[in-house]
Parts: sequence; structure tokens; C-alpha cells
Amino acid sequence: MATIRKSVESLATPGILRRRTGAEAEKLERPLEPGVASVQAIGYGRFALATVGACLALLVATLLMNVLVDPFAIAGTGLLPTAVEADRTVKLDLIRKLERSPDIVILGSSRARQGEPSFLTQLTGETAFNAAVTGGTAADAWVTARYVNDRFPRKPHHYIWFVDAGIATKGINPQLAEDPRGKRYLAGKGVSFTLADVGTYIGPQASLASWRVLKKCLLHSCKARLRYLPDGAIARPTLRYLPEHAASLQNSISRLVDAVRAHPPRKPNTNPARYRFFERTLAFMNAHGIRPVIVLNPIHPKVLAVLLKHGFAQRRASLAYLHALHRRYDFVVVDGEDISRWGGSPQQFTNATHINRRNMRRLLRYVVAHSDGALR
Amino acid sequence: MLFNSYLFLFGFLPPVLVGCWALRQKNLRLAFLTLSSWFFYAWWDWRFLPLMLSTTMVDYVAALALQHTDDERRRRLLLIGSLSINLSLLGYFKYAGFFVGSLNGIGRALGAPVDLPDLHILLPIGISFYTFNSMSYTIDVFRRRVTPTKHLLEYTTFVALFPHLIAGPIVRFTDLAEQLRRPRPSLTSKAASVGLFFLACGLTKKLLIADQLNPYVDRLFAHSGDLGFLTSWAAAFGYSLQLYFDFSGYSDMAVGLAWLIGFRFPQNFNSPFKAQNISDFWRRWHMSLSAWFRDYLFIPLGGSRRGPARTTINLVLTMFLAGLWHGAAWTFVVWGLFHGVLLGTHGLLRKLGLTPSSVFFNRAVTFLFVVAAFVIFRAPDLGTAGTILSSMLGFGGLDHAGALHTFLPARFLILLGALLVFVHAAPNTWQIRARPRIVYGLATGTAAAIAIMTIASPHPFIYFQF
Repeated sequence: MATIRKSVESLATPGILRRRTGAEAEKLERPLEPGVASVQAIGYGRFALATVGACLALLVATLLMNVLVDPFAIAGTGLLPTAVEADRTVKLDLIRKLERSPDIVILGSSRARQGEPSFLTQLTGETAFNAAVTGGTAADAWVTARYVNDRFPRKPHHYIWFVDAGIATKGINPQLAEDPRGKRYLAGKGVSFTLADVGTYIGPQASLASWRVLKKCLLHSCKARLRYLPDGAIARPTLRYLPEHAASLQNSISRLVDAVRAHPPRKPNTNPARYRFFERTLAFMNAHGIRPVIVLNPIHPKVLAVLLKHGFAQRRASLAYLHALHRRYDFVVVDGEDISRWGGSPQQFTNATHINRRNMRRLLRYVVAHSDGALR
Repeated sequence: MLFNSYLFLFGFLPPVLVGCWALRQKNLRLAFLTLSSWFFYAWWDWRFLPLMLSTTMVDYVAALALQHTDDERRRRLLLIGSLSINLSLLGYFKYAGFFVGSLNGIGRALGAPVDLPDLHILLPIGISFYTFNSMSYTIDVFRRRVTPTKHLLEYTTFVALFPHLIAGPIVRFTDLAEQLRRPRPSLTSKAASVGLFFLACGLTKKLLIADQLNPYVDRLFAHSGDLGFLTSWAAAFGYSLQLYFDFSGYSDMAVGLAWLIGFRFPQNFNSPFKAQNISDFWRRWHMSLSAWFRDYLFIPLGGSRRGPARTTINLVLTMFLAGLWHGAAWTFVVWGLFHGVLLGTHGLLRKLGLTPSSVFFNRAVTFLFVVAAFVIFRAPDLGTAGTILSSMLGFGGLDHAGALHTFLPARFLILLGALLVFVHAAPNTWQIRARPRIVYGLATGTAAAIAIMTIASPHPFIYFQF
């Protein structure tokens, strides 16, 4: 108590403050007027207007350019080709043009795009179609499953659905929402340019993408260099144009490992809205007598090791979720994350997250062998 | 809500500016600013708003009670009561988890496990700042250096004013009392220019410099075990510059925003890397915090008036607590102690007349010590800090070509070199005395626009975590 009392008394030290030297008192000075405010001049109004004007003009000009070019197909202006691959429209077009119903349909993101339907046919004797699209989400799977079913009603289909450790994202790609075929299955989810999109289109990524589109259209042609075969597979000569082709696999892996170490992934969002399209698609497939094969996408062993070191909460949560889902839906899970399970090669990756064709063939062989009859 | 977010810049700030200057009556304006600031705070997590309000009310009532009594015993009790409540809240929310974790760790190390349950307490953002703001007020009233305000809105505005609420500068009531008593009638073109200039400078520092350094620094610290002599120094320089531009950028934005709503905040950074000794550094770095610790802790402890030994102890104790203020982790404690030892050593050398006279030498040595200390500040644990510091001393050997190629890309090296020259040669934001020409306005606006364009994926300010 005596100590506290002494300390409190010492707080009230006007005497001490008075005894402080002039130099010490000066050190306590913290100016309130910066140098720029001490300049006596006219023209402050013009300075302020020029500052605000230049800032807003530049932002509005950037936004306008990006909306007109619309590199990410968010605004729906459609004046120029998009910077991102328009493969949703391409794949839906290909399904429309199919003469006979595919027996097996591959769903997923760019990580499943390497799957060759012709190889699946060799393995199973069934016809196949690859409907995987860049950044494919559960909403894409939902639209594709519905469209295939409407296009070839009363025909049985099997599905191999490649998913990431996070299982599902609730996002709907603007291209999908814009496509009239997609819009039909996404009630009320047509294109809408939101405030968040303004932020995206002010950002440097959109500006760089617009610049790439403009440069390509002005200097070369506006045609996409990535081409698909009628069965949805990527045409072999265009494989090198895949965005996931890394200049150096090792650098790509190092970057991802660094990112995981710096920001270890946390437990995924368990908001049911996130899984809405995933569960809706499963329900739709089951209602049509389809038992889909869910494949957990492979992960490069170096990245997987770091993820496991940090607990890999996403994997645990996803497996628990799928396990719980088995009570309501009928589906098969094939865990392809660890490439040693299916004889994958760590060298056969196009970057840290995408396997190449050779590895994909190995994985497809493993999937078919472990599909528990769901592909027959 | 971050200052460097579209929501703040285009959603929150414009209506607040319009509302603030449209309301000419003092009470209405202060009420509007208080409510806006509370909204700004509650946007992050509304559950912690009552906590801030209780701190505000405790100090408001305590100060008025202090004013109404001359009984010294009663005054002391009032002060102790106010400080206890403030420090208890700060201690619980910020340090309880740390102490429990440390006790468990010590128990395990001694072979007698304590096994207290881990406390998962969410740290209310800005608690360290507004608690110190509020405490300084009560202490100043106790010292009779400040006449407490009876006007509740003046006090709530002082504590909650959004430009300083989350990460300072730690303003004193004496800084704002007159400004609160007589709010400025209108926004002059000069005040708007100064405000916009500081806001643009802050955005540029944060978004175009600090955030650009972030990925390189993160990468280096994530690979602490692989760093050699050059890469470890690059990590230390990189983080020091990142922290400086991040926090001084935040402070510039806070000052600019204050000017735009009719207030003046004190300077918080004065080219700290130009310091000629460690005391000088602390007079230039986070000036509002160092002044707080000096006035409310170091001087009451006896300051430098009780002989060299006691001065050193006071310095080490003050800096220990300053370190702990930054965060509930042993790295911050050791960082604070390290600075305390540096300050004590410098004091002794100065008394013995052993400080070198070369300005260049003094600046270089001070800078290197400060940079080395920031490694402890940034490292996730003391082991990592030790690894990097030993590499900086050469114990990790020289880097092989692969590591240099991976960790020190040309862009990072150019940025690092340019910034090192900049912080040692260029004037700081407060020293710029440019005339308000249109071309400067266009340049300022362009810089701000480019900075705003990079907001798409914002990084929070480093000092928000404190």
C-alpha cells in the first residue's frame, strides 16, 4: 500500500515538472502545425480542388476503361473478349453440340481440365465429356448437371466431380450468371455490377488485364489461343497456353509453400450458404439415380507436407462434412490429395496446384478403380 | 473499418465531412462526431463498444470528482480507482491469456505442470490507445494540470474521435481541450489542403510502400532458418522500413483526417531513422507514446534525478512496460528491455563523455541497433529472432546464390535501397513547406489515386494489433 501511495504521489509532481530544465520541457513539445500549414500563400483552394479533381478523375477514368473493356466479364459490356478464359460459354456450347449423351461427365475447376474423356473411354468403355472450367465452383457443377440433364433427358449419366479441400465456394462466376443457359438455373442470379465490382475494376489487376486485352486485340487478334476438342478436352497444341503452366515448377511450389507458412489456412467457413449449390447438386444427381464420384484434388507433396504441419484444418473439416453428408446423399469419395496413393509423380505438375496430363491419367485410373461401381 | 478501404474513403468519410461542417452548433457537431466515431468503432465489433464507453465514463466521472475535492487522500483514492479499472480492463483483455500461457509454460519447464485453461480472449481493437488517452486525462486532472470538462460531449469526442481512436496518435486532453471548447466554424481551404495533403501522403506511404514491402519481408521471416548474412540484414532493413512507412503512414492519415474535421493532432514521427542516439530515436519514433511513458511513468519513477544507477533502472522498467504495451508476447518484452538497456547504456556513456562526436557514426550505429531490435519485434518467437540476429552477426554464413536469387529479387533490392536513402535524406511530411501550387495538387491527387487503386486487397495497419 505504501508503495502504491508513493507511486500515486509521484504522479502528482508539479514540483518535479517545474524543476525540469528548459531543454527537457522543450523535448515534450509536440507541434500541432506542420510545415506545410505555416506557408503563407494564396491558392490553397485551387490546391485542394486539384488534389481531389486529379484523384477522382484518375479513378473514374480507370473504372470507365475497365468497365468498357470488361476483362473479367463482370459488367457484361461484351465489346472485347475477356481476359479470363470464357470457357463456361465454350463448354456449354460444346454440350449443346454433342450428338449423343456422354456417359461420364467430368466436373471441377482448372485442376480437372487436364482430364481426357478419351482416356476415360479407354478405361471404362463409356463415352465422356470434360465440363471442368476455370475457377469452377459448385454453382458451375449445378448448372452443368442441369443442362446436361435437360439436353439429354432420360439418359443416365455418371459424374466425376473434382473438388478442392475447401469443397465448395458460394461464388457464382459472372460469366456463368451472364450466360442465358446458366442464368436459367440460377434463379435471380443474373449479372449485377455491385459496389464490390467497382473496387475490383479500380484495382491494378483489372487495369493490367484490360491492358493485356487491348494490347492483344490491337497488336494481334482478339481470338483465344486455348482451344477445346468436341469432348471438352484441351486441344494438345494449346496446352502451353494454359494459365496454370508455370515457368518454373520449383518457384511456383516455393511461393505457395511460403504463402502457406506465412498465412496457414484456417478452418473453412461453415456457413451453410457456402454449400448450398454443392448439396443442391448432390440432391439433384441422387434424384436422377446418379451416384457421383467426388474426388479430392491432388496437392503437391511439398505443399501437402506444409499444410499437414499446420494441421490442415480445411481437410479435416471437409472430410467431416462429407462424412456427415453421407447420411443424406449417396456419393463416393476418392481422396486424391496425397499423390503417393495413386502413384502420382511430383514432377508431373504444371504448377504447385495443377497436375499435368500424365498424372491426370494415373489419377483417373485410380478413380475408376475406386469408384465403387458408381461409374458403371 | 480500415482507413485504407473503399468503405472508409468513399462510404464513411464523405458523409461524416458533410455532416460535420453542416452542423455549425457545437453540441450538434460534437454529438455527430461522437456518434460517427462510435459507429466507426462498432463496425469492427459492436460488442466492444460498451467497453470503450465504460472506460470513457469512468474517467469522465473520476475527473469531475477529482475536481470537486481538495482532500488529498480522497483524490488519491479516486485516481487509484480510475487507474485500477482502466488497467484491469486492459490487463484482462490484452494480457490475461499471455500470463496464463506463460504460467503454464513456466510450470512445464519446472516439471510441475500448472495446466490453467487457455483463455481465448479477443483483443478489442484500439484498447491500448484509448485507455492511455483516457488515463492521461485523469492523471493530468489529478496533477491539476488540466481543468476537467463538465461537457460530456467534449469528453466523449476527445476519447472516441475516429482519426486517433484505433492506433493513435495518443492525444492528451491538453492538445484538444481548446479545439473541443471552440470548434472551428468552417473548413478553410488551407485546412482542407493540409488535410488532403496528409491523407494522400499517408495513403501513399501505407499502400505504395509498406504494403509493397510486406510480401518480401513475410517471405524472409517465414524462412528464418535459411537466411545468411545478407538476407538476414535484408529482412531486418525491410521490416524496419515497412513498419515505419506503415505506422507513420497511418499517423499522417490520422493527422490529415483530423484537419479535415477541424482538429489538429500532434506530430507522431519526426524522421526517426535520422536519430543520432537512442534517446533521440525515442523523441522521434511514436512520439505520442514515448512522451506518455516519459510523463506518466519515467518521471514519476524519479526520472534521471536520482543518480545513474536509478536512472538506468527507471529506463529499463519504463521500456519493459512500453514493450509489453505493444503486445502480450515475450518478443515485445525483450524488445522493450533491449531498448531500455540501450537507453541506460547511452545515458551512462554520455555522462562519462564517451559518446563519439561524429554525426555520421552516431546515426549509423543508432540505426543499426534500432533495426536489429526490430527483428525481435517482428519475429513470431524469440527462437526465430535469435536465429535471424545470429545470421546478421555472420553465424549463419554467407548466402548461397540460390537463396539470394529467391529471397532478394531485384525489385525488392531497388525498393530497399531507394527507401534507405529516402529515410535518411528526405524531409518528413511535417517538414515539407511547399507552396500550394496546382501542379503539386495534381501530383498529390495522382499519388492518392494510384494508392487507392491498390486497395483491392488491403493489409491492416501493423499497429492495429497493439
